[in-house]
Amino acid sequence: MTELRDDRISAEGVHKAFGENEVLKGVSFSVAAGSATTVIGPSGSGKTTLLRALNALDVPDAGVVRVGDVELDFSKPVPQDQLRRYRAQSGFVFQSHNLFPHKTVIENVTEGPLVVQKRPKDEVQAEAVELLRQVGLAEKRDQYPFQLSGGQQQRVGIARALALKPKVVLFDEPTSALDPELVGEVLSVIRDLAIEGWTLVIVTHEIQFAKQVSDQVLFTDQGVILEKGPPAEVIGDPKEERTRQFLDRILNPL
Amino acid sequence: MLAALVLTACSSSGNNGENPVKAAGVLRVGTEGVYSPFSYHDPATGDLVGYDVDVARAVAEKLGLKVEFVETPWDAIFAALESDRFDVVANEVTINDERKQKYDLSEPYSVGEGVIVTRADDSSVKSLDDILGKVAGETATSNWAQVARDHGARVEAVEGFTQAIKLLNQGRVDVVINDSIAVYAYLAETGDNSVKIAGTTGEKSEQGFAARKNSGLLPDLNKALDELRSDGTLATISKKYLKADASGGPEAQSTWQLVLHSLGPLAKAAITMTIPLTIISFVIGLVIALAVALARLSPNVILSNIARFYISIIRGTPLLVQLFIVFYALPELGVKIDPFPAAIIAFSLNVGGYAAEIIRSAIQSIPKGQWEAAETIGLNYVGALRRIILPQATRVAVPPLSNTLISLVKDTSLASTILVTELLRQAQIIAAPKFEFFALYGTAAVYYWVICLVLSFGQSRIERRLERYVAR
Repeated sequence: MTELRDDRISAEGVHKAFGENEVLKGVSFSVAAGSATTVIGPSGSGKTTLLRALNALDVPDAGVVRVGDVELDFSKPVPQDQLRRYRAQSGFVFQSHNLFPHKTVIENVTEGPLVVQKRPKDEVQAEAVELLRQVGLAEKRDQYPFQLSGGQQQRVGIARALALKPKVVLFDEPTSALDPELVGEVLSVIRDLAIEGWTLVIVTHEIQFAKQVSDQVLFTDQGVILEKGPPAEVIGDPKEERTRQFLDRILNPL
Repeated sequence: MLAALVLTACSSSGNNGENPVKAAGVLRVGTEGVYSPFSYHDPATGDLVGYDVDVARAVAEKLGLKVEFVETPWDAIFAALESDRFDVVANEVTINDERKQKYDLSEPYSVGEGVIVTRADDSSVKSLDDILGKVAGETATSNWAQVARDHGARVEAVEGFTQAIKLLNQGRVDVVINDSIAVYAYLAETGDNSVKIAGTTGEKSEQGFAARKNSGLLPDLNKALDELRSDGTLATISKKYLKADASGGPEAQSTWQLVLHSLGPLAKAAITMTIPLTIISFVIGLVIALAVALARLSPNVILSNIARFYISIIRGTPLLVQLFIVFYALPELGVKIDPFPAAIIAFSLNVGGYAAEIIRSAIQSIPKGQWEAAETIGLNYVGALRRIILPQATRVAVPPLSNTLISLVKDTSLASTILVTELLRQAQIIAAPKFEFFALYGTAAVYYWVICLVLSFGQSRIERRLERYVAR
């Protein structure tokens, strides 16, 4: 991977409030190309809002975000078409998958490339089949989402995000809505992506998974990034008391 | 106020000599078409006939004009005259001072005597003095209604003479006052002996043509009537239709035969009027509804308030009033629209208002995550709406929209009030000369039901198709 800048995605002083409630209080970090970053932290700490701000699904009140060489500065209003151009740089995987229920599995995957990117149908179709094979769902291509299990639906969601060939893929708690026995199949797909060299940002509660796949871990608390670094440091040997408490509660729930 | 405006407008245009009827070469005649024996459809041929109709034809012929009949319910007939739907009314318009002030009335071409009709077993009424406090069935704007009111009766408004008699039969009104000829014709036609002529009003009434004030038509009309009277034509027509004695009505036809004969004309009315009216109005209405729903959902306050206002106007006013405004009121502002397009406009706007709320709630029922997912794959607003949201909203909206469509089928019967000869009006026309309302309305009801049955069938097919991606 040859890139002029080695950070693929970055945030600078991002603020976001919902009414009186200030959820992000100036968040800054960057992610190197081809690396995986996980975001952990207590619920309500702003992890999901941070991820949605990175994709401009929730437009920040202030700060700068950048993916590749497309940058948005929220100190002034950003026009819709610029938002769209920015969003096109990243793929997004939702906690509740948000597949299009009226489209078949393969139609969900090809919708973006065909309709938005207007790429040739044969090519898109072939790539979609390959993506579905990659997430282990080649034989489900003509089924509707309701015919799939939660884990399968989430894997289609991942294929849909990848089909647009984004520079980075954002995951918002991709396994939180799943039955425990379905979590593994989704995590292993994400791990494979990390190994293949995709740039990933993953909000998750799966600490073991974070430890395994991440190059960088961010611990968020009360709207700020309290601690960041390699998993061996943030998870293995946290410096902050809050981080320790959080990890302790998750790893030893009783 | 409006009426005054119209009158002054007419008087300014009416006096300058050239009369527009002559220029057009056509005399447009408004008549009821359901008032036997003056204006009705011959049960055998379906043609519009009757004393007034034939007199109007003869007058037009004398004047060297073509004649064109426009069939209108009595209570809308003067509104239609004033909004220039036709040039004269030929429908036993009784000449009185009040009408003379508002309209040009010709010399009389028929002279009648008012009679009071009661049920056969009712001996309480002998003259007008006895109707005090009774209920009379009359068309609201007729001179007979005025006579009844003047003598202390309460007037129950009906659509025409034939229905008044039906109400009398059923005991819903006590008396019906009308022209003796109409009553004798009824008795002759039906052999009904449950009602009787209880007395006369004691006054002769004279009937003539009515035209708009200062129409410039009167000299011609009167001259033609004079000629027809002196050459015996009026007497001939009169003999043909007006049998003052109760003998020798037209060949009796059984109810069953009448219904059988009505099947074709009713089907034709359904296929050429009711169904096209429904389909065209529904399609245009849906387009309006989608635009209004989106405007209502728009963050733009002005846009959403306009949409709100439109919906509230449409839902807050009777459809019948909307029809009347489009058809009778707009011409007073200089916008004259033919019956069928006027009906399309009114029904489309109505469907637009109701369906807008259905479509809005259907769009809102789609989870926000669908919009977000569409955003993340790069679709813009229109793309997201068209490819992701509306296809799903359709599934939600189909059952309530089907309701709207099925209501619309039946609502189109209201178009009869603005001169569209649709299914119900056709049934009225066939029923009137024979007084067979129950049979004909029943037949029309079956037609409506069949249309709705087909639509319901279509609805369940569409629903099944749209359910294919939903877990059951």
